[in-house]
This record gives sequence, C-alpha cells and structure tokens, in this order.
Amino acid sequence: MDLTGEFEARSYGGGATREATRLESLHLGDEFRQLALPPENAGGFTALLELPPTQAVNLLRFTDSPSSSSQAAAVTGIAPPPPHSYGTLTFPSNSVLMDRAARFSTEHHQNGNVSGTSSVPSNSSVKTEPAETDSSQAVNNRSGKRKDSDKKAKSWTKKNKSSEENENLPYVHVRARRGQATDSHSLAERARREKINARMKLLQELVPGCDKIQGTALVLDEIINHVQSLQRQVEMLSIRLASVNPRIDFNLDTILASENGSLMDGSFNGTAMQVVWPHQVTETEQSYHHRQLQQPQQWPFDGLNQRAWGKEEDQDHGQ
Amino acid sequence: MASADKPINTDVPEKDVFALHFLQSLSNLRRQNTFNSPEKTNDRVKKIKKAAYVSMARAAGGTNRLWSRALLRRAAKENNKIVRFPRRKKRVTCLRRRSNRRDPVEEEEAERLRNLVPGGGGMGTSKLMEETAHYIKCLSMQVKVMQCLVDGLAPK
Repeated sequence: MDLTGEFEARSYGGGATREATRLESLHLGDEFRQLALPPENAGGFTALLELPPTQAVNLLRFTDSPSSSSQAAAVTGIAPPPPHSYGTLTFPSNSVLMDRAARFSTEHHQNGNVSGTSSVPSNSSVKTEPAETDSSQAVNNRSGKRKDSDKKAKSWTKKNKSSEENENLPYVHVRARRGQATDSHSLAERARREKINARMKLLQELVPGCDKIQGTALVLDEIINHVQSLQRQVEMLSIRLASVNPRIDFNLDTILASENGSLMDGSFNGTAMQVVWPHQVTETEQSYHHRQLQQPQQWPFDGLNQRAWGKEEDQDHGQ
Repeated sequence: MASADKPINTDVPEKDVFALHFLQSLSNLRRQNTFNSPEKTNDRVKKIKKAAYVSMARAAGGTNRLWSRALLRRAAKENNKIVRFPRRKKRVTCLRRRSNRRDPVEEEEAERLRNLVPGGGGMGTSKLMEETAHYIKCLSMQVKVMQCLVDGLAPK
C-alpha cells in the first residue's frame, strides 16, 4: 500500500523509476512485501541512500558478506548482484541487474520456486557478468594509467555500443565492440590494422584507377606498378634531357624563359616567385620579349655556383 | 598501445620549387668541364638522373621525410661525401624493428614496395605507406617538371 507510494516517491533517476514500475507490475503479495520491507532502523539508512529499500538491503547484504548473498536471494526473491571485483558500485548499474533478476522472478512468483529461480537468474547474470568484467578489465588494464572508476562503469554499461574515442592523448581508448575479442593483443592488432587501412585508402586516392579494385593485395600491386612507371618515366626524361643537353650551353636563358612559360601555361599556382636573372644572362633580352611574362619572377641564383651536394635546402620552402 | 592518429600529412611543395632545384642542379652539372662533351651519353644520363632524384629529395622534404633522407644519404655515399643530418626527436627507425609488425598477408607486396621506395627497409608497414604516398606525389611533380623542360627544349 504505502510501499508503492514509497517507491514512487523515491523515484530518483531512471534506475529507481524503472525499479519502481517493475516491482509494481509484479503485483506483490503481502507476505512478499513483508519480506522485502527492511527493518525499521534501516528505514533511515535507505533514506540516506535515497534508494528503494530492496536495493539498499541488497547492497547492505552484499557489502557485508558475499556468502550470505544466496540467503538474501532466498528471502527477497531477487537475485543479488554477483560479486564484482570493484569496490565502488554505481547505483544505475545495479538497477540494470535488478531489472534482469526481476524479469526472471516474475515468471515464478511463489516462494517455493523462488530459491530455484533465484539460482537461475544469478547463473545467467553471472555468466554475462564475467564477460563484461573481463572486457572492462581488459580495457582497464590496457589504459589503466588513465582510467578512473567513472570510466569503469561507463565501459560496462556501454558494452553494447561500439564507439572508438580519439581523444587528443597519446593513448586511444578503444571500446570493445560486440562479438570481438577483447584482450590487449587483439586490440592493438586491430588499431594497427585500422591505421594501415586508413593509409591504404590514402594511397588508393592517389593512384589513378585504384578505387575500383577490391582487396588489398591488388591495390598494392597497382601502387607498385605506379611507382615503377614513375621511376621509368624519370629515366626516359633524363635520357631525353641528356640528348638535348648540349644545347643548354648557350641557351640557358631560353631554357629558363621557356620553363617559366610552360610552367605558367600549365597548372601553375601563380604565386609570385621572384626570379633574379644572373647578370650575364640579362644581356640577352630578346628571350624575355618573346614570352609574355605576366609577373616578373626572381629566382635566388646568388649562391648558385657554390651549392654543395650535402647542403640542406630549407630556405626555399618558406616561399 | 595504439597511438592517436593525427591527420596524415602528405603535402608537397609547388611545382616551381621542384623546378628551381632541378634547374640549379642542371646548371651545376653544366658548369663541370667534363659534362659538355663526353663521348658516352650514358654517363650524362646517369648524372642527370641522379641530379633529378637528389633535387627532388631536397625540394620535397629535405630531411623531414624518411625517403628523402635515405636518398640523399645514398647519393652522398656515392660521391664519398659524409652527410650529417640533425638528430630528430625520436629515432624510431631502429626501435620499430619488431617482428610482430610484419604479420599480415600483404607482407610480400610490402617487401616489393620496400625495395622501390628509398629507405623502405627501416620502416614499419604503416610508415611505409605514408612515405610511399608522399614519394608518389613528389615523383609525379618531378616528372611534370622534367616534361615541361623537355618540351621547352624541343627542337625549334
């Protein structure tokens, strides 16, 4: 009577309301309610905890001694939570278990069957529990340095969601997805595979005609062929340049002018690079007038003669 | 422990940077006395090719890229010049040589890629692919520059 009123009054948060509606739908008999009702002195305690009394009682029983949890199951008809390895239980997580246990106990309502069924839900819940604790433990172990208890609960309740967090930290907290192995080796392996796949996608965009191909081996074949063809092209062009080269002696200016012209005609960005012609080249000015130089260009040819092989060329990148 | 994947940077400079470096190396070559009239063109071809690669490496990344560093080091060794590169923050090329990085099926292809890309021997597979992407971009840029040059020098 007033028990249901108590439940409704104490509906703090989602878990408590769920608990309240669930127990109401059970149509609790009076003797059940008597059993579920804690002793009077615990009333103040539950008020402190701001919980429905059954949950508080279970918490009490559980934290006192795990061995007596089975007795509590027989008495209250609700399976206690199996012993966690965590010290701190957050209440919403507890209510999820309560839901499951309550769902099972609706089927067998009588007291005689209570002890039988209480073992069943506890078994099933125990079975699902180790998987989740293992996963969350594995996740804890993997990134244990940075996790706090907040994340432990979150990882446990979010087991069914698959999300990968990429915080701006050296570590990536990867949530275990459904149906995938969760030990640290496979997690690292999976992260590495995803890195490689991302880079493979990048390469696929770069090499023409690679998006259509499925399968990494063929894509890699294409990439290798592309690199080889580019290197062969460089060789062909250098052969042609070598054959043309004797003409460079007296035509450096035309080369540079033609180079500027072809560069501007092509997909040239048009950033105004300033070219300083070496003073001996500026004598031959007719090469200038043949081309339409939209922008005067200067190239820093000052230190041209003294360039050594091993010198680093970093000042040009700033342009 | 998986590291956070910052966006992979494969920017290459503009075409004019490549052109500048290549033309500088070419005029350097021209100034050498033996260059203008050797009997064999093969030597010239080889020199031009080497000049092309070295200028590309310098234009593209300098020492910021693994492949360009390996290329420059290789070229300098042929010239018997000792090249010294500034020490970078993390010297990972020797540390990352672990066998568990080379498990997957694509390993044979990665081996071939390693032979093609300069400096591929010391990289893990993911780093290798990053370097390959940058290398491909730089190679295509260099090919464009050389093509322009050859077209400009076409018989008039």
